[in-house]
Amino acid sequence: MSGANPVSRLNPMTWPLSFKVPLLVAVLMFTVSAIITNRVLARLEENQEQHLQQLASAYLDGLSASLIPSVFRGDVWEVFDTLDRSRERYRGLNVRWTIVTNAEGKILAASDPAKFPSDTVAEKEVLAHFTAGREVILNEDKATAFLLRPLPYQDREIGKIYAEADIGALLQERSDVLRTLLLTNLLLTFVLAIVGYLAVLRMMRPVRIMSLHLDQASQGKINLIPDSIVMRQSSEFRRLFGRYNVLSQAVNEREFLAVQLAEEEKVASLGRLASGMAHEINNPLGGMFNALDALKKHGTREQVRATSIRLLEHGLTGIRDLVRSTLASYRADQRPRDLTMVDLDDLRLLVKPEAKRKRLNLEWTNEITEAVHVPAVPVRDAVLNLLLNACASSAEDGSVKFHARIESGALVVDVSDQGGGLPAHIREYLERNGAGSVPLDKRSGLGLWIVKRLCDEMNGKLIVVKSSASGTTIRLVVQPKLAELEDAA
Amino acid sequence: MSRTATAANALSALNFGLTPVFLTNDLELLTRLKAYLSRKTGRDVQLIQRRTYEEITALLLSGQLDGAWICGYPFAQFRQQLSLIAVPVWRGKPLYQSYLIAPKGRVATSIEDLKGDIHAFSDPNSNSGYLVTASLLAERKLRPDQFFRQTIFTYGHRNVVRAVASGLAQSGSVDGYVWEVMSSLEPELTAKTEIVAVSELLGFPPVACLRTQRLSEAVELLHKALIEMSEDDEGRHVLNMLKLDGFADEPETLFDTIAAKMMLVRGLGS
Repeated sequence: MSGANPVSRLNPMTWPLSFKVPLLVAVLMFTVSAIITNRVLARLEENQEQHLQQLASAYLDGLSASLIPSVFRGDVWEVFDTLDRSRERYRGLNVRWTIVTNAEGKILAASDPAKFPSDTVAEKEVLAHFTAGREVILNEDKATAFLLRPLPYQDREIGKIYAEADIGALLQERSDVLRTLLLTNLLLTFVLAIVGYLAVLRMMRPVRIMSLHLDQASQGKINLIPDSIVMRQSSEFRRLFGRYNVLSQAVNEREFLAVQLAEEEKVASLGRLASGMAHEINNPLGGMFNALDALKKHGTREQVRATSIRLLEHGLTGIRDLVRSTLASYRADQRPRDLTMVDLDDLRLLVKPEAKRKRLNLEWTNEITEAVHVPAVPVRDAVLNLLLNACASSAEDGSVKFHARIESGALVVDVSDQGGGLPAHIREYLERNGAGSVPLDKRSGLGLWIVKRLCDEMNGKLIVVKSSASGTTIRLVVQPKLAELEDAA
Repeated sequence: MSRTATAANALSALNFGLTPVFLTNDLELLTRLKAYLSRKTGRDVQLIQRRTYEEITALLLSGQLDGAWICGYPFAQFRQQLSLIAVPVWRGKPLYQSYLIAPKGRVATSIEDLKGDIHAFSDPNSNSGYLVTASLLAERKLRPDQFFRQTIFTYGHRNVVRAVASGLAQSGSVDGYVWEVMSSLEPELTAKTEIVAVSELLGFPPVACLRTQRLSEAVELLHKALIEMSEDDEGRHVLNMLKLDGFADEPETLFDTIAAKMMLVRGLGS
């Protein structure tokens, strides 16, 4: 429903599948990629450190082997020459500088003599980064590795190698890998989310088709799903669509039968009406024939003539009223017109024969004084059916009440009987919006269905005000047409 | 291989020693020099290299070399035992100079300004790479270890330039010919140095042999090959690589100046 409240929108259970599944895919991908990225980086870091340790060890091994004889002799040039040449051999390590000190801690030679002159002591700040016993110390903040190797000769330490290597390239490689991983994973997640969305959209297509047909069905138009669409579906949906089509066919047939039944009921009603009318005409006719006989035999007598003429007039007046109200009700060229008090009062005449047959007391209250801007004919038909239904429901010698009035601008008609009350399903049927498109079950007859259908056509409302073993009151509420409301406003 | 054949080969082979006086690190040069000498002498020429002047001089004096390109200083030291085969001619003369060099930008105009330096020498038996500077100090009654804070021997004139250019040494004594050739072949290296002082012209490092062998066939073949080098295409190519004009016969007196310096230094008891 478009008017869903905001709280339900926040509830993930209410989100559409076409959004939830891609979201789930994206969340899963993010989680997996975060774990993978973490593992890859940890492994890379481990490998890089291992590689750096190996490279540093190889560098220090190579240097110390070449340097020990020169350091032992204190040969400044040989030490420098060895350091200078090692620059080419250990390019992978990216050494910034190397210092070789003698046993006294003085610099013998350095790869950068201008920065670390020979025969001087290296500054404390420079040596502070090195720790005895630790060959390689990594300082990622400074993107630097500090290398330290003592130079032993016959169990004595004759000097030390200090070196500083730039590990910026390693850190850069790590951040490059991180960036590449993030970008790749983001792209993959995005693509998979789109693929998931499209896949779910495609999977949901049969559900949408079904939903569309069910929507149409709820509005009274039951359409079968074409075979061309059914055949395109997967086996599950093909079976579902097939069952829906069988069901729809059954409903359509039932409705057709219901219409036929309604026609038959109409004919039956007509018969009942005709019979009632015949009976109603027949009653005065007997009196009128008696009056005629009296006239024939004793027409010369003033009193007899006057009585006979009164009886004839009375009988004819009754017949005329009956005919007039029947004409008003069943006129063929009925055009939409507003309801008047007379329209409702005429119904009394039409119901009267049925009430009389069952010796019912008809309590009639009509408070409508002016024309109401509601369609006269459907209202009359609906109320007539309610009245006939009330007569049918009430036991003999009971009473049927009619009360019409205007409440808050709407026409309100209450019809009460002294029957045994309405079954719950009929009550629900009468009060449910739009239920008139489907007929009521067979046992309940068609009268109430006709009422419900007419009521739906007028956008009216049926309310079961009371329903108990002592009787039922059904209220018909019809709002005036919109133009009326606008005029009133 | 039989003993007779080995002896015959040993006779036919011509051993020529090289000191690090010139650019011995150039393999192509060595290959071409060997090829030229082999073709010209008609003998298989072996180029014998050692790290120090002393080792080559010892080999020459012990008769293991037919000839060797040594320095003027060892020639002066062993003048009684040695004889000249030929002397290289550079820029039209059989002469060269020793340079005192310092890192570029250093304000120094004489050896006095270099006092207290770490000083790079080439070889203790090199004229230009040691003796000239030592004699300069000897004139002041000083030994190098008294004048300089520390001295280092790099055993190669190119290494002296490297040591000064890198800042390892604050000054150095180098062969003027090597420095000039390097300034055209490796200008980026010599550009980091500058010349502080230049010595007088001295006899160019000569090719020498044992005096007793001077008239031997092998020495004569070597002499002819060296003297005629500038007349041969391949020889000229080698000379061109060495930036030399050729080789010439020069009198032994050419090295008297060096001998005098040697005497001066020895007199100080270094």
